[in-house]
Amino acid sequence: MKILGYILLGALAAIAAHLFVIFQAPNVIMNRAMDGASFGATQINQWRHAPRATPTPPNAPPETRGIVRPSTDLAYSICVFDLSKGPVRLRAAPWDDYVSLSLYAANSDNFWKQNDRDAGGKAIEIVLARKGDDTAGAAGIARVESPTAKGIALIRRLAPDAAAFARAEDARKGDICAPL
Amino acid sequence: MCSGSFLAIGPAASRRYHPLMKLKTLFLSLVAVVVGALLGGGSAFWMVAGAQSLGGSVTSGGWGTSRQIGSPSADPWTRALVARAGLLALAKSETIYYSRAKDDAGQNLSERCTYQIKGGPMPARWWSITLYAGDNHLAFNQDQAASIDATRHVRDTTDAYQALISTARGDSGNWLSSNGAGEFVLTIRLYNPDASVQADPEIAPLPSVTRIACEGAKP
Repeated sequence: MKILGYILLGALAAIAAHLFVIFQAPNVIMNRAMDGASFGATQINQWRHAPRATPTPPNAPPETRGIVRPSTDLAYSICVFDLSKGPVRLRAAPWDDYVSLSLYAANSDNFWKQNDRDAGGKAIEIVLARKGDDTAGAAGIARVESPTAKGIALIRRLAPDAAAFARAEDARKGDICAPL
Repeated sequence: MCSGSFLAIGPAASRRYHPLMKLKTLFLSLVAVVVGALLGGGSAFWMVAGAQSLGGSVTSGGWGTSRQIGSPSADPWTRALVARAGLLALAKSETIYYSRAKDDAGQNLSERCTYQIKGGPMPARWWSITLYAGDNHLAFNQDQAASIDATRHVRDTTDAYQALISTARGDSGNWLSSNGAGEFVLTIRLYNPDASVQADPEIAPLPSVTRIACEGAKP
């Protein structure tokens, strides 16, 4: 094989490896985040309400630093959902300022979101399902189809100070993430 | 190349591959594949692991953003960068994120220096400016001054404001602590941005970031 052949072979391998890493990175990073947020898949289909974002040491365990660039002004609630055994009901209780419910697929895509204005100030409530799932038992609740069986649901409530955060903790009691 | 084998006798023999030549070709091919894979995979890993911005090429006054953040139509490179530097970011119809790692003069933002932020109202329902260490997490300090936001910042009658970035609180009413941040990045969040900014993120009037002084620098 001539030298040009080896260079071409090397270039093809470089392109293939580059694309493999780029395409896999979001899945790997999301898997790590889902694992951390669900305590190793032991807390699936239930909200975990994060305390107010505070700095963690750079050498802290990765599971305590799962979400990059957190906002200190928002109260986050996270639910790792798994639709493999059926649909999941999600609800974000009303809040007197900005609140949103957003859904992320296993490849990190933000495939759905709704905020308090979209919901007319009422609770944001949906049934999350896979294509073909029966959600007849949740008549009257909007159905959203997830492109992947696993993913993350995230509630953001604007709570920029301690008093607002304390009120957000009360509001969180009305949030639901549970199998239908 | 192969015809150079000392085992080849005559033109016909030179076109046949000796087992040693096959081995050599196989070995060199393997080296080419391994070196190529290391370079290609390494370049992607370096790009993703070192990400300090959310990708994209849309800029506004030194702040960068991407139209594709959070979007299912995002290209694979943007998706990888966002996963690393802004996992669980929202699509631009809900929130636009701008970030920067350099001051207005193009120098890296550093804990060693103090900076002044100057700006005015931003076109969104709510906004914040947050300081993150180079590892994309909050700088490790107890100052409780990682961000300023639309609800709490000190501003004048025209809604203009100034903020100080430094390791110690100064006279400024608005302070972002860079304690323990090393070389850091700033992120602006525009929640429920105005339709005009959603359509064209480059037109957002974003604050300037000017270096005031650096530790150890000549006056």
